[in-house]
Amino acid sequence: MLKATLRSFLAHKGRLALSALAVILSVAFVAGSLIFSDTVTRTFDRLFASTAADVTVQPEQDLRSTRLSGSVQTLPAALRDRVAKVDGVAAARAEVSVQNAVVVDRHHRSVGPTTGAPTLTMAWYVTHRSPVKLTSGHAPHGAGEVLLDADTAGRRGVRIGDTLTVQAQPGTLRVRVVGIATFTTTNPGAALVFLDPAVAGRELLGSSAKATSISVDAAAGVSDAELKHRIGAAIGSGAYDLKTAGERAKSAAAGLGRFLDVIKYVMLGFAGVALLVGVFLIVNTFTMLIAQRTRELGLLRALGADRRQVRRSVLTEAFLLGLAGSTLGLAAGTGLAFGLVRLLSTFGMNLKATEMVIGWATPVTAYAVGLGVTFVAAYLPARRAAAVSPMAALADAEVAGSGKPLTVRAITGAVIGTAGAAALAGCAAATSTGRAASLLGAGVVLTLIATVVAGPLLVRPVIRVLGGAFPALFGPVGRMSQRNALRNPRRTGATAAALMVGLALVGGMSVASASMSASFDRQIDENLGADFIVQNANFTPFTRQVKDGVARTRGVGLVVAQRLTPVAVRLPDGDRVRTTAAAYGAGLDDVVHITYVQGGSPAALADGRVAVDADFARDHGLRVGSVLPVEFPGGRHTGLTVSALTDQDVAEGFGTEGGLYFGLATLAKYAPDAQDSALYVNAAPGTGPADLRPRLERALEPYPQVQVRDQADYKELVHSQIAVLLYLVYALLGLAIVIAVLGVVNTLALSVVERTREIGLLRAIGLGRRQLRRMIRLESVVIAVFGAVLGLGLGLVWGVCMQRVLALRGLTALAIPWGTIVAVVIGSAVVGVVAALLPALRASRMNVLAAIAHE
Amino acid sequence: MTTPAAHETPDGEVAARARGLTKAYGSGETAVLALDAVDVDIARGRFTAVMGPSGSGKSTLMHCLAGLDTVSAGQVWLGGTEITGLKERELTRLRRDRIGFVFQSFNLIPTLTAAENITLPMDIAGRKPDALWLDRVVDTLGLRNRLNHRPAQLSGGQQQRVACARALASRPELIFADEPTGNLDSGAGLEVLGFLRGAVDDLGQTVVMVTHDPGAAAHSDLVLYLADGRIVDEMEQPTADAVLARMHLFTRANPRPPDVVVVRGRTADDVVAQED
Repeated sequence: MLKATLRSFLAHKGRLALSALAVILSVAFVAGSLIFSDTVTRTFDRLFASTAADVTVQPEQDLRSTRLSGSVQTLPAALRDRVAKVDGVAAARAEVSVQNAVVVDRHHRSVGPTTGAPTLTMAWYVTHRSPVKLTSGHAPHGAGEVLLDADTAGRRGVRIGDTLTVQAQPGTLRVRVVGIATFTTTNPGAALVFLDPAVAGRELLGSSAKATSISVDAAAGVSDAELKHRIGAAIGSGAYDLKTAGERAKSAAAGLGRFLDVIKYVMLGFAGVALLVGVFLIVNTFTMLIAQRTRELGLLRALGADRRQVRRSVLTEAFLLGLAGSTLGLAAGTGLAFGLVRLLSTFGMNLKATEMVIGWATPVTAYAVGLGVTFVAAYLPARRAAAVSPMAALADAEVAGSGKPLTVRAITGAVIGTAGAAALAGCAAATSTGRAASLLGAGVVLTLIATVVAGPLLVRPVIRVLGGAFPALFGPVGRMSQRNALRNPRRTGATAAALMVGLALVGGMSVASASMSASFDRQIDENLGADFIVQNANFTPFTRQVKDGVARTRGVGLVVAQRLTPVAVRLPDGDRVRTTAAAYGAGLDDVVHITYVQGGSPAALADGRVAVDADFARDHGLRVGSVLPVEFPGGRHTGLTVSALTDQDVAEGFGTEGGLYFGLATLAKYAPDAQDSALYVNAAPGTGPADLRPRLERALEPYPQVQVRDQADYKELVHSQIAVLLYLVYALLGLAIVIAVLGVVNTLALSVVERTREIGLLRAIGLGRRQLRRMIRLESVVIAVFGAVLGLGLGLVWGVCMQRVLALRGLTALAIPWGTIVAVVIGSAVVGVVAALLPALRASRMNVLAAIAHE
Repeated sequence: MTTPAAHETPDGEVAARARGLTKAYGSGETAVLALDAVDVDIARGRFTAVMGPSGSGKSTLMHCLAGLDTVSAGQVWLGGTEITGLKERELTRLRRDRIGFVFQSFNLIPTLTAAENITLPMDIAGRKPDALWLDRVVDTLGLRNRLNHRPAQLSGGQQQRVACARALASRPELIFADEPTGNLDSGAGLEVLGFLRGAVDDLGQTVVMVTHDPGAAAHSDLVLYLADGRIVDEMEQPTADAVLARMHLFTRANPRPPDVVVVRGRTADDVVAQED
């Protein structure tokens, strides 16, 4: 029996090839993501372990977010002397390292990475822990000299002797590059600029009495943990955050882990799509192979093989397929991981990864996934094979018909579908975001399952309509294509399901993102009154000199600065909410339209006052006149009096819960270092915005980190941020489509084999080759469009429900991207044409006589 | 042994003609001759049967005359058109417009109704069927109340009648029937033979039928005997008994090692088609 199975596997290897490809793709993504993250993690673990000081003293971490406010948390540089005196300390250094300085070359171009990785400007110390060493030039002395890392210098064409501008928080600094430092470890992608430690505090933090951390080397024989304990005892551990080298490496790795997780989840998403779609392909292949081999299986049964043996024989074939697919997939995954590492290096993250790290979990997972999915997919067909009676060997081989009635599917589909529809209806009607989101998730999964299960039932009605015009348009060829697609609803349903899954996802996401864009557009139209906004594409804060530059520009009227700061508020109901608060300068009403339920901008921006979103206030028991205790970074805290309630379309999901804002004067007291994150600019009376814009752009030339945007540009910026999400979905879709095309090719190729005699007959009575190809192409198109219509229909429903969830967060507009939807339907027809190429060619090349005589 | 072309109809019209028709499979020493320089004329308006043992080359002869198979040597004409040397596309068009086929089994497209199957060749050609003629054919074959049925809903005899109707529907110059009764019980077989006979007598069609059943051959006007790739004999106005007797005679008169014939013929036919 095993020999027969092996023979059968080898005989059908061509027909199994496409199924194997589906297994390979999914295993490759699973294995690739594991290998990639293992490799990167290992590399960075080594980097952190080798570069972290034995003990590091940092400011307390609560509310630390330099990204939002642009401020830097510091500790007194004098702390170094106290630490140095602790018994067991060999050396202590007051480190100065900031990420909020922008370094610009003489062509006004930033030398920092374009990838979002930071530019680290820091004090130059030479220790055995340094990730870099001086490879040319000399160490910086005094305020006018810096070192630059070699990768950045190479990328930006900066040489020793060139002049750079460092735009630090306290002020701008013109410096000369006096040396190049080269990474001796993995370069994590950041740009490094080194200053003389003697001036770094003053130039970067505004005072030489400040430092950002203290690095401590332990004396011989003193463990890191012991030293940390002693230092903590000496300086008071509560006020500072102390970490050993091990802890530091761990927290750095955790931070990196979040970045890696994103890549990992994306890859796993791809793997999931590949798996999901691959299952349909495998099920279809096995079902068709078994249908074609009914007589052979009947013969085996007649010769004495029992049901279990037949089933096992089919499952063994599946096992072999899974084994081959997993092995190739593992190899492909290694290649994929290697490619990803190379891709990272083009982003400046130069991994010194000499070998790929393949942990034991990788092959285990790869084979588990590959074998598991094949086995699961082949199980039902195997059972069907076992049900073949010995009589089948004697009966005339009848072309597989529609098979058993679809009652079970109808009932299952209806039950699951009703549950799914109920969940989605509940989601649309829900009033709390959490509840709506979980109902949405349940509804999406249930309706997807229901559509897959009931898909074959929808084949007849939908394809009757879709292909309804075929007989009129394409004559008998069209009629036969339509009927062929209707011939085996299970098969057509399963083939189309692969495409449906991907397109449902796209349909839903495109509705959601179009709605988000439309909502933001509406908010911008309603709220933004300024002629121009000056800000960063990443919304990161920028030096205050930008504002001075803007204000000095001829024709500029009002300039209102926005600054952000992380805060924690203690609410009357006992909640402590961490959120982001904004601070604005005077003249807010002239640049932004805010709807007030109570109070107004002047009251809100007055010293010691705060404005709160009315809904948030109601939920937490705040009223006008309530004193709200607010904590700022660095341990500063105060009570601010609520003096205005606003009706804002705030999007809670974006970290701005509560919609808190106050005046710049208030912020200056508690977060004096915060930088501007946006400038709202109005033209002076008598100056047209069109005239002002070029002048503003000229004034901002030395500041490449910010751009001038009018309302249309601002919308464009928001759209492009939403589009990033969409591109990811499109990439997923691309993969799903590739596999779905394989599925359609597979089904058509096997159908062509199955219908050999029929094709021979058609050719004998005068069907031309081109007509035959067209017949197969049309069948393919109708299957693909069927999948697209089903998928988009489902996706639209999902999208509308997603929009309901977003609406609870203030994104109230619903937009349906009809253009995208029409394009997807047309695209799916093209997919059908492409998928039919090979099967059609094969059918048209058949020898007529051999085909007629085919058994 | 080759019979010269001597079967002229009274008015001398010929529906199909072959001269020196040779079909070889393989090449060089291993070549197997399925047809060995056959000369044959198929008279218009008559019912011709081609008989012979398995592997005699009778199906190959039909395939070559119908433009389904290419010839190794010789010439074939359909009416006035020489079909040897025609391109694939021209042959397809020729089959579609000028020839009707009835095969032993699997004659109908399962997804199409009987009516759609009958008009399929004309539909493919984009021609409108002649409604009067179609009615007559359908009524003659007794298919009036079966027109909207799918093949799966029809009996074997009904399916063959639909196949006959399809072959007749476009009024082709020549109808080829390859063992049309091979899969039918005797009653249904007789019915189909009756229709083919009627097609010649009443509708003026030309039919060539390949068969190994003397009873079936007896319905024809002329029987051609094929053996070993040659036409070895013929009989006008046959009866079943006479055909059977002639076959015995023929077998006795040609005492050759039967194995050789069978092996040789089979090898040839296996490549093309399994006759039984």
